[in-house]
Amino acid sequence: MVTNADVEGLDGQRRSVLSKSPTGIGGFDQITDGGLPTGRPSLVCGPPGAGKSLFALQFLVNGVTRYAEPGVFVTFEEDRADVVADVGSLNFDLDGLEADGRLLVDALALEPQVADTGNFNLEALMVRLAFAVEKVGAKRVAIDNVEALFAAFDKPSLVRSELRRLFRWLKDNDLTTVITGERGEGTLTRHGIEAYLSDCVVVLDDRVVLDVATRRLRVLKYRGSTHGRNEYPFLIGADGLEVLPITALGLAQDVSNDRVSTGVAGLDAMLGGHGVFRGSGVLISGTSGTGKTTIAANFADAACRRGEKVVFFSFEESESEIYRNMASVGLDLAGWVQRGLLRFQCERPTTRGLEDHLVLMQRLIREFSPTLVVIDPVSSLARGATPFDVSAMLMRQVYYLKSAGITAVMTVLSEEAGVEQVILNISSLVNTSLEVVMLSAFGERNRGLYVMKSRGMAHSNQIREFVLSDLGVDVVPVVIGDQGVLTGSARVAAESAERAAAETLSLESAELASALERRRETVDAHVATLLADFAAEERLARELIEASQQRLEAVRLDRLAQGRRRTVRYPENEP
Amino acid sequence: MSTPTEPHEQGSAPNPGRLHLTLFVSGTSPASARAERRLRDMCDRHALFGYDLSIVDIYEQPAEVFSRGVLAVPTLIKELPLPVRVLIGDFTDEPRVLDELGLATATED
Repeated sequence: MVTNADVEGLDGQRRSVLSKSPTGIGGFDQITDGGLPTGRPSLVCGPPGAGKSLFALQFLVNGVTRYAEPGVFVTFEEDRADVVADVGSLNFDLDGLEADGRLLVDALALEPQVADTGNFNLEALMVRLAFAVEKVGAKRVAIDNVEALFAAFDKPSLVRSELRRLFRWLKDNDLTTVITGERGEGTLTRHGIEAYLSDCVVVLDDRVVLDVATRRLRVLKYRGSTHGRNEYPFLIGADGLEVLPITALGLAQDVSNDRVSTGVAGLDAMLGGHGVFRGSGVLISGTSGTGKTTIAANFADAACRRGEKVVFFSFEESESEIYRNMASVGLDLAGWVQRGLLRFQCERPTTRGLEDHLVLMQRLIREFSPTLVVIDPVSSLARGATPFDVSAMLMRQVYYLKSAGITAVMTVLSEEAGVEQVILNISSLVNTSLEVVMLSAFGERNRGLYVMKSRGMAHSNQIREFVLSDLGVDVVPVVIGDQGVLTGSARVAAESAERAAAETLSLESAELASALERRRETVDAHVATLLADFAAEERLARELIEASQQRLEAVRLDRLAQGRRRTVRYPENEP
Repeated sequence: MSTPTEPHEQGSAPNPGRLHLTLFVSGTSPASARAERRLRDMCDRHALFGYDLSIVDIYEQPAEVFSRGVLAVPTLIKELPLPVRVLIGDFTDEPRVLDELGLATATED
């Protein structure tokens, strides 16, 4: 039988390139590069409660609503009311689709009191399925959980051969089928039906790691197709299953150049003066008690001041604790809550599984439509989950928020075990990363804040001191002294010493200036005296010069007068 | 499915012990024919209050198969007297069949 099926499988592949039918299950079609193999049965197996039935139903409902492929749902586990009730919390309208004649639910709660009186076969199963398929013109079929037949009919070998016949019939009729089976001891399914379903095998898992349930999906086998081979975390939300293939995340979201204040003037200044980009991811890391929540609360307060809505997810403190603590730094968060701008969701991280947390978060975000979301701290979600899960979930969450244009402010307790990997993984999706460090010196511990990175904007490279007081929060420049970076009272002391020194210096220079002035006055006076003396000397000298010239003129006149007299006295003695 | 009018045709008062049986077979198979013969034989011998047997060929009446939740052939549904019993198999286990149809005690008495 198996070899026959194999030959047929090969023929099928030769006939055409393997075509695929999308399931419409978020992420799954990306992992499988298009969905389940068209016209073939695929096995979806896992432990009870792993989401097999939901996978099967979602595959059918999406087939009807999105891909115009009617479907038949056969369940051996529940009656119709239970099936409808199970998906009642999800956005599936089974009744409506059935009324339209595009979906048929064949619910057969197999009766245990069936009495076996001899030989029989399951031909009627094929007949009823054919009837249902024909009735709605089905292209898709899901059979949940096929192994219930083994419990209902106490003849394993007969059930086995009838199932092979059923699978063959499904293939012959080109029906894309999901068969679910429950995990067995050391086998994929309790009765080993995976041996007959070799085209595509999907394994769902619902593991409890450190008391927290985590769902995972893996495509174990996909004949003739490439597929993601990892275990992918998945969650069950209002729209059903959602697989989280990180690598398949698109990076096409629109970005905003709009900047929003952090609520701390000094921090805005460190971020180029305008705060962070709207719709970006902000990560605030630091050890316990460094004021991460306070910074996050300031982001929230600033958004509320702008009249925008905020959802604050707290995993460590209750709402009233946060009110009290933030009131001590001058933030009236209770006031914003009363005005309907702020909403708190406070929960212990371990109250529910990781995926439930995220589903709840997304639901609340959808309901409240905030522009900013605080998750305080994201690292506590890491408790009871492996770093990979947390990273994947957070990446998904951050991606979701970013694509919705919501600013995500997340705090991370950096001393929490295993958190480095988480930070590392999500940091690629975070635009601005702030770190609060404790600077201890001179018997004090003070908070230092620096911008580890901030994409797309000029930002300070300095560690600033982060000061909490009843007036609020501020970030002030630190003092670089002889002993390095000074904070707290050392900074205050250094600042006052600096002031004193400056005062001394200014006093000194004032004294020097006046001394100089005095000297100038002295010199000026001296110069004036000298000039006066010189003027007197000059006057005297000029008087003397004039007097001597007058005498010289007088002598010359005397000599002329004497000569004239001599000529007149002796005229007879001349020839 | 058995026709509800039959009891009234048999007499003025409904017979509370009369068996109303529906047998689902895959019409043409010899195994089905054998099963039907075996059942009729058993009923002829043991059903003291009489019986009505309707035969449903699953290929001819698939809607019936669908509405009655039948998976196996042969499947026998004992509609009356209550409680409804469902038997699968070709009736080779005679004591079991008689027991399920409530005929075993009748023969012993």
